[in-house]
Amino acid sequence: MLRLVLRTLRLRKGGFVATFVAVFFGAVLVSACAGLMETGIRSDAQPQRLAGAPIVIGGQQEIDIAREDPAEHDSAKGKALKTRTVTLPERVRLDAGLAGRVRSVPGVTGAVAEVSFPAMLPKAAGAGILGHAWDSAALTPYALTSGHAPAPGETVLDAELARRAGLSVGDRVDIAAHGTTGAYRIAGIAAAPRTMTRSAVFFAPADAERLSGHPGRADAIGVFTTGDVAAVAARVRDVLQDANDANAVVLTGDERGQFEFPEADASGEKLIVLSGVTGGLAVSVAIFVVASTLALSTQQRQRELALLRAIGTTPRQLRRMVLGEAMGVGLLATVLAVLPGRFAGQLLFDRFVANGVVPAEVIFHQGWVPAVVAAGAVLLAVLLAAVAVGYRAGRVRPTEALAEALAEAAVRTRWLTPTRIILAVLCFAGGTALAIVTVAVMSGPVAASTAGPAVMLWAIGVATISPGVTKATAVLLHLPVKLFTGVNGWLALRNTRVGALRVSGAVTPIMLAVGVATANIYLQTTQEAVSNQAFTEDLRADAVVSGPGGLAPELVRRVQDVPGVAGASEYVTSKAYVEQPYESGQKKKGRPALGLTANGAARTTATQVVAGSLDALSGDAVAVPADLATDLGRNVGDRMTLRLGDGARADLRVVALVKQRPGFESFVLPADLLASHTSAGLAPQLLVRAEPGVDPGTLATRLRAATRGFPVTVGDRETLIAAHEKGNEIGAWINYLLVGMIMAYTVISVANTLVMATARRRQEFGLQRLTGFTRAQVLRMAGIEGGLTALIGIVLGTVVSAGAIVPFCLVASDSLLPSGPLSIYLAVIGLAAALTLVATLVPAWFATRGRPSDATAIGE
Amino acid sequence: MRTGWNGAGDAVRLEAVRKDYGNGVAALDGVSLAFGRGEFTAVMGPSGSGKSTFLHCAAGLDRPSAGTVTLDGQNLGELSEARLTKLRRDRVGFVFQAFNLLPALTVEQNVLLPHQLAGRRPDRGLVDQILRRVGLAERRRHLPGQLSGGQQQRVAIARALITDPAVVFADEPTGALDTRTAAEVLALLRESVQASGQTVIMVTHDPVAASYADRVVFLADGRIAGELPRPTADAVAERMTHLGAWAAVGA
Repeated sequence: MLRLVLRTLRLRKGGFVATFVAVFFGAVLVSACAGLMETGIRSDAQPQRLAGAPIVIGGQQEIDIAREDPAEHDSAKGKALKTRTVTLPERVRLDAGLAGRVRSVPGVTGAVAEVSFPAMLPKAAGAGILGHAWDSAALTPYALTSGHAPAPGETVLDAELARRAGLSVGDRVDIAAHGTTGAYRIAGIAAAPRTMTRSAVFFAPADAERLSGHPGRADAIGVFTTGDVAAVAARVRDVLQDANDANAVVLTGDERGQFEFPEADASGEKLIVLSGVTGGLAVSVAIFVVASTLALSTQQRQRELALLRAIGTTPRQLRRMVLGEAMGVGLLATVLAVLPGRFAGQLLFDRFVANGVVPAEVIFHQGWVPAVVAAGAVLLAVLLAAVAVGYRAGRVRPTEALAEALAEAAVRTRWLTPTRIILAVLCFAGGTALAIVTVAVMSGPVAASTAGPAVMLWAIGVATISPGVTKATAVLLHLPVKLFTGVNGWLALRNTRVGALRVSGAVTPIMLAVGVATANIYLQTTQEAVSNQAFTEDLRADAVVSGPGGLAPELVRRVQDVPGVAGASEYVTSKAYVEQPYESGQKKKGRPALGLTANGAARTTATQVVAGSLDALSGDAVAVPADLATDLGRNVGDRMTLRLGDGARADLRVVALVKQRPGFESFVLPADLLASHTSAGLAPQLLVRAEPGVDPGTLATRLRAATRGFPVTVGDRETLIAAHEKGNEIGAWINYLLVGMIMAYTVISVANTLVMATARRRQEFGLQRLTGFTRAQVLRMAGIEGGLTALIGIVLGTVVSAGAIVPFCLVASDSLLPSGPLSIYLAVIGLAAALTLVATLVPAWFATRGRPSDATAIGE
Repeated sequence: MRTGWNGAGDAVRLEAVRKDYGNGVAALDGVSLAFGRGEFTAVMGPSGSGKSTFLHCAAGLDRPSAGTVTLDGQNLGELSEARLTKLRRDRVGFVFQAFNLLPALTVEQNVLLPHQLAGRRPDRGLVDQILRRVGLAERRRHLPGQLSGGQQQRVAIARALITDPAVVFADEPTGALDTRTAAEVLALLRESVQASGQTVIMVTHDPVAASYADRVVFLADGRIAGELPRPTADAVAERMTHLGAWAAVGA
């Protein structure tokens, strides 16, 4: 049997090209995704700033939150409380005094606390400048190339930054950090022994402590040793454990990069989700596409299979043969895809970095593990497809070998098997159930989460009955096509109806491409539109004061005193987890927390107060979403404990119950409290509401005057909205890229299938010409058939995507139709139609090139 | 007449076989026929007489709606699809009008295919012998596409004979061949009957082809319409003309 498989593969290369191409591109896509996933899971970023210290101690960025009510937990039973580990969004800092304790550990030759804070030089545009204390220069190590160490009021710049800003020793420079601007004299220039992606400015230790905003707390502690790194690190761990400082983590090697680039972890999660979704989608699309190419190649040698059955091949042997052929092609394609898959992964990763989705410091990894996993997943897809096709092949009736005309054998009318009916019913039921759940239960942006599975369910459902749907659509189109196209159209319709099984092989992938692309893109645009709308509607501010390094706390008061300002509030965003009372089903990402200034909160945000008042929002106060408060059994005046963004516990007093837009419910805390538990330590923005009748231009001018001397910018409402939309764009860009890839993949397969199917119809075309068709008429007929195929695929794809989008739109925007430009849909269907036509007409042109009698000659 | 029930050792026996295709017309309407071992029978009839259906049912490619078919002593109705397939593989040889061979396999591999399907060790000696018998020993490494139509049919006969089947069914084996090549193929079938006592049942509409057989059975409208022992081409042609008229009257 193996020999037959191999020989068949060798001789019938043409018939398997489509399957090969489908598997190959599928494997490239999946292995690229697998590479991105490995990169995401490892989130490796090589240390730069901390590279000089072989051992680094940093804050524990993970905490455990309860997954069962501690009150009901019976500790007497000896079972530990069920918890889940979550990653904190804000930087967890260490007590700087830890450095002193570590220094006494045997083998440690030195320990230096590291603080880093964003700094800005007016002459060197661009972010990515970090301020540090000069005594921590050894952590890189930075060494002076000229000048001397900074005294208070002095600074040392890294060589690259000095060159970029055109500064040299002795110059005076304004540096903004922690909300204020100060003038410093450049005491020296320092250079690092390696390329740094971020620039550094050094201050005298006392200045650095002040500018960091968190005196006594360190971002990390670098530990030096001349001995065995692992052994010393273990000893340091022991010492920290004895000191009961579970808050600290000791890392060595590349892992040290985590402390330096905590955002690598966050981007890692993004990568994991992205690559998981895309890879999964690619695998499911591959099952479809491979099944349709295999079905086509099997169907085209129906007679061969029937002959095998007649001379004594059991259905089982036939199934094994189809399986063997498919796996043979699949294996070859998968192996060949390994290298291109690597390049594709690297290429995608570079695009992510270029678009700011992933920080440049993250190292791309695509080892053998993702390669094997990807190959396994793709081969599994091929196997599933081959099993489905093989099952059908095994049912070929031996008498078909005796049928006199080839056409008779090729046309199979029986396709609606019980399995198909059951599968279709299950899928449609699932799709409907998801729609009902979405509309009835879900609210806000969460509703989008059902759309992905819904698209696949509808698509599988339609795919299982696609021959029938193809036939039905052909019948429906009978009259219009006949009216406009005459005999060619009539024949094309007959061909489509009678050869519905063949045509559906092309319809299914077109349906998939159109369905998946339309659903995903419009899901994205609708989500964006809804989010932008929500943001715009909720934004009560007429102007915004923002400072990338944070706003000095006294600015609020100053701005509130500006004439024409009705209200002003700091605006801080972070996350919080509920610790006490127990909240079941808490999300891994926690709940958004909003920091506002008490006397400006009501005027600058759309937060509706149900009970209590936001005016009391100071000290240990919190406003809680009303529904959550009901769930937790808390009311105004009660207390509850939250874990804030940096993991700190906060025992808070409920001062108000608030109602927000569904899906955007968040805690509201005093701005200063929340800001002190963020990485920056300060509020990044200040929202300002003008008194009625105050001109926005006048307001902006007054605000600029009031904030003169501070490193801030004043923007209007549009600035805020534009910034919000820009943030969305990154997400959108990724989605478009991935959808584009899936679409391209599907389209390649469609083209493949069509080219193969059309080229095989030489005999039929020849016969038509012998009976009096001109070549142009044959081509026209083929063109109409291609058009019909595309039309049916597009209609079905649209229906499939509607099955997923409409429920979401109903929930998110109370409308049946998604928001977003119509041009995207037109582009998608235009592409699908153009490709189908080209892939039909070009091979048809070739197939009708010779004399018609050549084509009808008997023989294979 | 050998239409009776007397030969328990018959190669193939049909008893009251009926086949409906669900359109109200019976393709076979109570056919009883027996084929003795070592006999070369031609089954003839005009289009639509039920020749093909007869062949499908007799060879176990299709199941009759009623009646029994016994092949080499085995009642086919009792067999599962898999057992039936195995029986075909081991006890039945087939020669079709066209598309007899797998294009991907060489002559030798095509001939050996039934053995391979059965998971048996290919018997090289046997292949040599059979390929010599059909006159294609030199062509064993060729692909079917490199052979003429007559040569392809000879390979098909070789494949049909390799399992030493109880019966060889031939469906219009010369339908796609010119007269001279057809004569060679028929002579080969005849020779296998005479030399090794092979049973051959051939469906044809060509009186010349039928004249190679020991006897001819005529079918019309799904029923047996007569029989002709030791036929000549002229006699068969005359009978066929008559049969056509008879069928026309009957219709």
